[in-house]
Amino acid sequence: MPERTNEDLDLLFGALADVTRRGIVERLAVGEATVTELAAPFSISLPAISRHLKVLERASLITRSQQGRWRHARLSPTSLAGAATWLARYERLWAESFDRLDDHLARRTSEQQPTTQSETDTETQTERGRP
Amino acid sequence: MTTTTTTPQLALTRIFDAARALVYEAFTDPDQLAAWWGPIGNSLPRDEIEFDVRSGGHQRWTEVFAADPRIRVNVHFNLVQVVDGELLDGTMHVTGQLPEGLEPFETRVRIEFHDEADRRTRLEVRQWLPEHLESPSEQGWLEAFTKLDAMLAA
Repeated sequence: MPERTNEDLDLLFGALADVTRRGIVERLAVGEATVTELAAPFSISLPAISRHLKVLERASLITRSQQGRWRHARLSPTSLAGAATWLARYERLWAESFDRLDDHLARRTSEQQPTTQSETDTETQTERGRP
Repeated sequence: MTTTTTTPQLALTRIFDAARALVYEAFTDPDQLAAWWGPIGNSLPRDEIEFDVRSGGHQRWTEVFAADPRIRVNVHFNLVQVVDGELLDGTMHVTGQLPEGLEPFETRVRIEFHDEADRRTRLEVRQWLPEHLESPSEQGWLEAFTKLDAMLAA
């Protein structure tokens, strides 16, 4: 691993502090892709995706190669890219889970309100199950 | 555990509008975890969830992917330290048929439950990178990731 400078760190911070670019890094973890393929899940233009790719390339997170007419982007074969992918994946996992946990807790809290107001509303096992 | 001394690479904070006991229960009651845990579209078969929540105990479950039911991820969360209502800390062993060519890995996870005003709960999640993605020369980078994640979670 070459020595990293503050400038490198700024590039990395900048590159990963954008939800579209984190999405691109995650997509490239599956395998290399063209700009068109990378643009598919996002509602933004091809030139905008190209600009995002340039930012990721400057931060050494991806490399790009020409294959015939098409330029392919792939994740850099460094553990840094692997670490970035892994962290992006878990960051998303927790965020999605937390959103559902919010809903789940709201249901649980509203189930508990009648229980405290009226003793006849006893909580049953089924109420605690999956939605 | 080999990663206890290093800084966690993932640091997330979230406030939930529910009492601490309820949030803790959502993590430690098998029926409840299945209702909210995991990537969108996954399911956790109830008969493959097995919990023994105490220091030295475990939480085990299987995640089945809706898009491809052949993808079955086995999660064994070996609990090293448990404080009832306050803390779950241990090593998560992730194996099975993982999505997108992901290798099996181990990751330390620490989940803290804190009281907030108005019967709300602050959840602090800390997670450590699997060892195969870590190398000592990258410590600076990993600290940078930690700060970045803290910033994104704020």
